[in-house]
Amino acid sequence: MFDRSVHILASFEWSVIWDNRGLFWDGFKHTIKAGALGFVLAYVVGLVLGAVRAHRIPVLNQVAVTYVELIRNTPILVQIIFLYYGLPVLGVHLETFTVAWLSITIWGGAFMTENFRAGFEAVPPRLREAGYALGFTPLKAFLNVTLPIGGRIALPSTINTAISVVKNTSLLLIIGYPELTYVANSIQSNTFRVFEAFSALAVCYLTIVWALSALIRFLEARLALPEAL
Amino acid sequence: MPLVPDWFRPVAEYMLREGLPETLRIAAIALVASVAIGLTLGTLMTIRFFPLRWLIRFYVEVWRGLPILVTVLFIYWLPAYDIGSFHLQLNAYQSAALGLSLWGSAQVAEATRGAVQSIPKEQHEAAAALGFGWIGRHRFVILPQATRRLLPPMVGLLVNIIQNTTIAFVIGVNEFLQAGTRQFENVTSGLTGQVAPSYAPFMIFGFVMLGFFVICFPLTRLAAYLEKRLVV
Amino acid sequence: MKRIVVLTIVFGLVVTAAVAATFGTAAPSRGVAQATLPAKPKLPPLPAAVKARGKWQIGVKCDTPPFGWQDTSGRNRGYDVEVARQFARWAFGSASKVDFTCVTTASRIGTLTSGRVDIIISTLTWTADREKVIDFSVPYYNAAGRLLVKNDVTVGKLATWMPGKKLVSTSGSIYDRWIKNCFKNTSFQVVSSPAAGVLAVKNDQADAMMYDDAFLVGVAANDSSLKLASNVFLKVPWGVGIRKGETDMKRWVDASVRGMRARDMFWSILKRTIPRRFWKGFKVNAPSPKIKLQYPRASPPENNCPS
Repeated sequence: MFDRSVHILASFEWSVIWDNRGLFWDGFKHTIKAGALGFVLAYVVGLVLGAVRAHRIPVLNQVAVTYVELIRNTPILVQIIFLYYGLPVLGVHLETFTVAWLSITIWGGAFMTENFRAGFEAVPPRLREAGYALGFTPLKAFLNVTLPIGGRIALPSTINTAISVVKNTSLLLIIGYPELTYVANSIQSNTFRVFEAFSALAVCYLTIVWALSALIRFLEARLALPEAL
Repeated sequence: MPLVPDWFRPVAEYMLREGLPETLRIAAIALVASVAIGLTLGTLMTIRFFPLRWLIRFYVEVWRGLPILVTVLFIYWLPAYDIGSFHLQLNAYQSAALGLSLWGSAQVAEATRGAVQSIPKEQHEAAAALGFGWIGRHRFVILPQATRRLLPPMVGLLVNIIQNTTIAFVIGVNEFLQAGTRQFENVTSGLTGQVAPSYAPFMIFGFVMLGFFVICFPLTRLAAYLEKRLVV
Repeated sequence: MKRIVVLTIVFGLVVTAAVAATFGTAAPSRGVAQATLPAKPKLPPLPAAVKARGKWQIGVKCDTPPFGWQDTSGRNRGYDVEVARQFARWAFGSASKVDFTCVTTASRIGTLTSGRVDIIISTLTWTADREKVIDFSVPYYNAAGRLLVKNDVTVGKLATWMPGKKLVSTSGSIYDRWIKNCFKNTSFQVVSSPAAGVLAVKNDQADAMMYDDAFLVGVAANDSSLKLASNVFLKVPWGVGIRKGETDMKRWVDASVRGMRARDMFWSILKRTIPRRFWKGFKVNAPSPKIKLQYPRASPPENNCPS
């Protein structure tokens, strides 16, 4: 019975993956649904709060700081569980999909806030002053100067955070959200074919992650800022 | 502790006594392994020998690209490896430590590569002019400077590793989050003689968050401080 | 004539003694029955691996009171855990010669088949499907399925109430399979532990939780906003999980369970682990000299869909 391990290496059963392709596809769709939503919303949160932080807007800045420090210094798994089991105590009843995308958005948003803040603060002040000289209001200066340039500076770090948001969808299996890792784990526990189930899973994730990384390299080249800045 | 409700005291003590040391143990092992392996691989990656570079690059991209949970689950559920009388099967604790170390070492390798490559070429040339070989050059000139630059991200990595030990929860390791969850389950079922109010989940998981915050916040501040000092 | 009478009487006594020895004493009280049995039954040899190690490695639940849970001092407790400790006593003389590994409903069979534990005593209901993968010992507890709902819910007939409702249970449980088999129009969500299921019902994230009666009875008794629907289903005993083909292990475990049953030890364990007010209701679930449990091999329950 223990020669199984050697057997398994020699007898990779593609049929396990093929027969369960429907389940894998469903899991993939769920991963993408929550991941894409988290990806986009984290960007929005990060952009808005990053601007708040960079411009030190009075009350909102403190709120943003508290939010960021709380989320960055606690594990995302605990945040997911807290949202799922702890919130209902306060009377907030959310369904599983909502907790899924909300938890990764909250987590990603905190990191994106820091990424964007660093990006906005790295914009040389003289460019903003040039904007004011041209008659821009602070808001217009932000939209036309700080955001485009700071956003580009922040591009590598924000896309890294976004990739982490997508990877963290794997943790959603503990609340029963049937994404990829959940599917692979249940296939593995029913068929005992660990190698097949997890190789397929690894390929799925690496494809998503490497594709997004390639995107970042492409965008970095395309949107590269002129050297003299 | 004056403000602790009666039902919560044994719960909190259980979590701190059973769960927290386990978390710190896993984190310590993963940190040491990550730094040791990562520094080595990162330095090797700077050698102009493409097969080696690609091999290490592959290692880094795989373990950074996969979610840590997937790595840990894979390692845990792999069938036992038996040759003759040698029986290798990692328990949950070891699987979690190994999975974290693979990821951590990939992070450190990438950061080391960046740090070593950021050392100006002049340092290499000066060291060579003084008669240092490749190993001597790296050991006495390059790596000391590179590791100084690595210090802030390493503290950041420690924070990440401590937080990611919660992944071990999924495979049943009794770390801090799992300890809290067990108490939450006992209390909710009402069958263990423990009574608790209905807001118990909020307090228990809030306590878990507080515990991690108390550990990670000072470390994050430390990393920021080191970063500032370094720029000087 | 006198000789025939004497011989008949002697013959009758011998037959009675033989019958009594074979089937156990029915009429005498428990105390007398125990006094005629030695404290430890004659057991087959302990499997070599366990013997060499000097202690058991047993998988138990840590999230399912009153069968397997951990108290605040970190000790494993519960009905299943007590059974495991009895095995340790009979194998090695001490209840401490056992290492517990926490398993969940989803992970217990994998943990057994991957060789991490010797056996699993983890609220494992017998099913024909599971018997294809692992072996079951003789039954050691009888459980039925119940529905946990909020107080204002009326269930009535399962077949009419279930469609369109949202149910929760633990992943990989017999309820998981039964609902997917029989109630295709019921939306089913897995939770990671029984307590999570209770919360889901309390927080209106699900209409009902389907789980073992002993656990749910306790929950409903402690929570005035929840109750059990009157439907009882899937009455199937639990067995100790043993890897397929390990006949020496099965022989030892079966002999121990039979020995415990003959000495009415399951009832004592039940009294030690379940709150007093539930004793009366659950006495019938524990095997005893009067109660013999059997697996429904003739008609596996997970294939019986209510009409």
